[in-house]
Amino acid sequence: MKGSHTRYFALALATAVLLAGCAKDNGAPSSGSAAPASASLSAENSAPPELQPATFTYFNAASAGKDGNTNETTLGKILEEQTGVNFRIEHLVGDLNTKLGVMLAGGDLPDVVVPDAGIDKMLDAKAFIPLNELLEQYGPNLKKLYETYWDQLPAEDGNIYIIPFAASKGFVPDMYQPGAFYIQRGVLKEFGYPKLETLDEYFDLIKRYKEKYPQINGGSTIGFEALTDDWRFFTLTNPAANLAGLPNEGEVYVDMATKQAHVTGDTEFTKRWLQTLNKANDDGLFDKESLVAKYDQYIAKLSGGRVLGFFDYGWQITPAVQNLLQTGDDDRMYMGFPLVLDKGVREQYMDPPVFATNRGIGITTSAKDPARIIQFFDNMVKEENQKLLFWGEQGKTYEVDDKGRFYRTKEQIEQRDPEFQQSYGFKYFSYYWPMGAGLYEDGNAYFPDRQPEVIAASYSEGDKKILEAYGLQVFTDVYHEPADVEERKWYPVWTAAKQQGSPEQMFEQKKMDLQRKWFPRLILAEPDKFEAMWEEYAAQFRKLDVKTYEDWANGVIQDRLAGKKR
Amino acid sequence: MSRKSYIGRLMDQKTLMLMSIPFVIWLFIFRYLPIWGWTIAFQHYRPGTGLWEQKWTGLDNFRLLFQEEAFYLVMRNTLAMSLINLVLGFATAITLAILLNELRSVLFKRVVQTISYLPHFISWVVASSIIVTALSIDSSGIVNLILMKLGLINEPILWLAEGKYFWGILGVSEVWKNVGWNTIIYLAAITAIDPAQYEAAEIDGANRMQRILYVTLPGLKPIIVLLLIMNIGNILESGFEPQYLLGNGLTADYSDNLDIFVLKYGIAMGNFSFATAAGVFKTVISIALLFGANYMAKRFGQERLF
Repeated sequence: MKGSHTRYFALALATAVLLAGCAKDNGAPSSGSAAPASASLSAENSAPPELQPATFTYFNAASAGKDGNTNETTLGKILEEQTGVNFRIEHLVGDLNTKLGVMLAGGDLPDVVVPDAGIDKMLDAKAFIPLNELLEQYGPNLKKLYETYWDQLPAEDGNIYIIPFAASKGFVPDMYQPGAFYIQRGVLKEFGYPKLETLDEYFDLIKRYKEKYPQINGGSTIGFEALTDDWRFFTLTNPAANLAGLPNEGEVYVDMATKQAHVTGDTEFTKRWLQTLNKANDDGLFDKESLVAKYDQYIAKLSGGRVLGFFDYGWQITPAVQNLLQTGDDDRMYMGFPLVLDKGVREQYMDPPVFATNRGIGITTSAKDPARIIQFFDNMVKEENQKLLFWGEQGKTYEVDDKGRFYRTKEQIEQRDPEFQQSYGFKYFSYYWPMGAGLYEDGNAYFPDRQPEVIAASYSEGDKKILEAYGLQVFTDVYHEPADVEERKWYPVWTAAKQQGSPEQMFEQKKMDLQRKWFPRLILAEPDKFEAMWEEYAAQFRKLDVKTYEDWANGVIQDRLAGKKR
Repeated sequence: MSRKSYIGRLMDQKTLMLMSIPFVIWLFIFRYLPIWGWTIAFQHYRPGTGLWEQKWTGLDNFRLLFQEEAFYLVMRNTLAMSLINLVLGFATAITLAILLNELRSVLFKRVVQTISYLPHFISWVVASSIIVTALSIDSSGIVNLILMKLGLINEPILWLAEGKYFWGILGVSEVWKNVGWNTIIYLAAITAIDPAQYEAAEIDGANRMQRILYVTLPGLKPIIVLLLIMNIGNILESGFEPQYLLGNGLTADYSDNLDIFVLKYGIAMGNFSFATAAGVFKTVISIALLFGANYMAKRFGQERLF
């Protein structure tokens, strides 16, 4: 009998511990975030209420970085002097879903959260407060900045939960190239800088160069390299639609006449893209190993200088470009072209300025003083403060010429090292706050790396030489301007939010599994077996829940055309 | 025995009991309390909302799991890779331990032991890079290079692109990485064998081979059986990192195991309920296997866990 009593006692004890644990969890955040605010309030009673120092917590799930306080940076200090507000910044370490899940389950939320792809989870848990009234009351500058997009801000229930980034005014080309078929400058030089338009011309050039120079830097020349590692697999699937002259919508393309979405997986252009790679493989131009290699091996190969061509996006090859720059051999550097399958097709590689309404910054239910936060946001989007945050201080990080144009001296351009970016504050304020993009009212570019004066001064001798050979100002001049921007109000479909575990999300995962299995096989197949294998793949692809996915995409398009937020 | 004596024995051992209390509490908090989380498997779980606001879905998540075609494929892969690791792991570790034990030069023995267990301390991320490089078709791929020099193959083989090679590559990699580490426990067990038995065997005229067969191996049997039972309980844990890091689209049919499946269709999609259902399934099967193996050991009159 005694035994069972002890057991009951243990159970009761356990329950008590459990309950105590829960209670503590719920109480902690409120007392935790209130303490520093009240402590600092009493410390400086003399300051006017709107300038009394306050520290808020800020969690950034979208990018990695050094944690710290904004007032430890030059820019953050200036903002603190204006508003009295400091932010303690924390970045995501590890898995986004797990981190947000734990945060939400524990009720331990920072004051301000940039949830990135975890936004639906935050909204599901009702963790963000509606900002409508706060914006009305404290956000005149925010309203002005987001004017053109204002009706896109509210969620379906009419509440504004997040403020998206980069409210764009005016179009400025990027210094870095978006998606492109890159080719070594040495190849272009060898053949007298031909203007490349089609995929066939591109592979023909690579073939001729490889025949002439079977070895580069002591290793065998690689004709074409692919990137297929894990989630980066889209680098192999995305070009298909671009090659057909379509913009990159993600898994679908949209018929402009009917505004109907169709999946790209079993289309003729996807087949032709793979067939071209299949032929390249048969000709010995394709690097088979790139189908099993990891991202770091890919970067290592590009850096080695013996890869003649590849498709990629500027942001994904930065480490390789840096390495190549250091060796100083301009012939091994790359230049990208927006290729198409058939001559005369107008390409649409370059995206119009996208205003992604499902990415942004929100204030959580744990925040003690949301009004102060909105006031801080409102202050930081004033035009003079935006210039401060992106260009820095005149005389220190930029100069102005007599026509009012902003530029940077050589020394100022070279202040690119991460340490300076961090200590000055550029790192903390580079994105992930309410902000604009495009052009300022005076016509200067929002960001220094988009200002023609700065770009021209940043190019190397080799850059300038090849730009001159092609008669271009900047590398992005190889692209056409984005077409039908007004008509394509939905663009791009891929930014639309998908519910956790929904059929459309399942489709994307299964589609990726299928293509990760089949695309490499199709590329490596004997050319005469390609047709049969393609049919087999296409049949399996059609077995997926294509209909539901297209319906979902069409819903997104129709909603966005009707001005609804998706 | 009477209750009185039980209490009495308890009192006699009170120092030991007190010493074990922190560990019992630890065990309870970290191993038993989390079982509460299993409730997630029966919900359409949304983080941040209370227990009573969750949508309860009964066995839907399990139904989804068992209806998924890919589930049976990943189960096959999980079991196959586990069995390969189990058999190879045991065979190589026991062989190496016995061979090391037979060595006379202590210095040589130490050197071999150290070298063989060093790879255990390399993380799989680094190890997989080494393996991928070794299997490369490029000039850096030592495996292809050797095979070509020996004239066994005419042109380099892209090892990691063939699904049917994957289990083999994984098995060999696991052995390379863990064989030295796994021998430690057997070497310790061998030192516990009474030297008098070896002497007696020698006097009876047993040669080296016979001493291994009739003294060392029977001496190791209890520990082998114990480890086997424990490993059978872990058979659904075929590992995650090596498969994730060495696998790719071409080998997915062979390399995707239960853990990767759960990562892709559960956690990565924020579908925690589905991931938990798979976890519950895994635990239940593991417990059943553990009891089964223990029961079998008992039937055959061998050592057992409990």
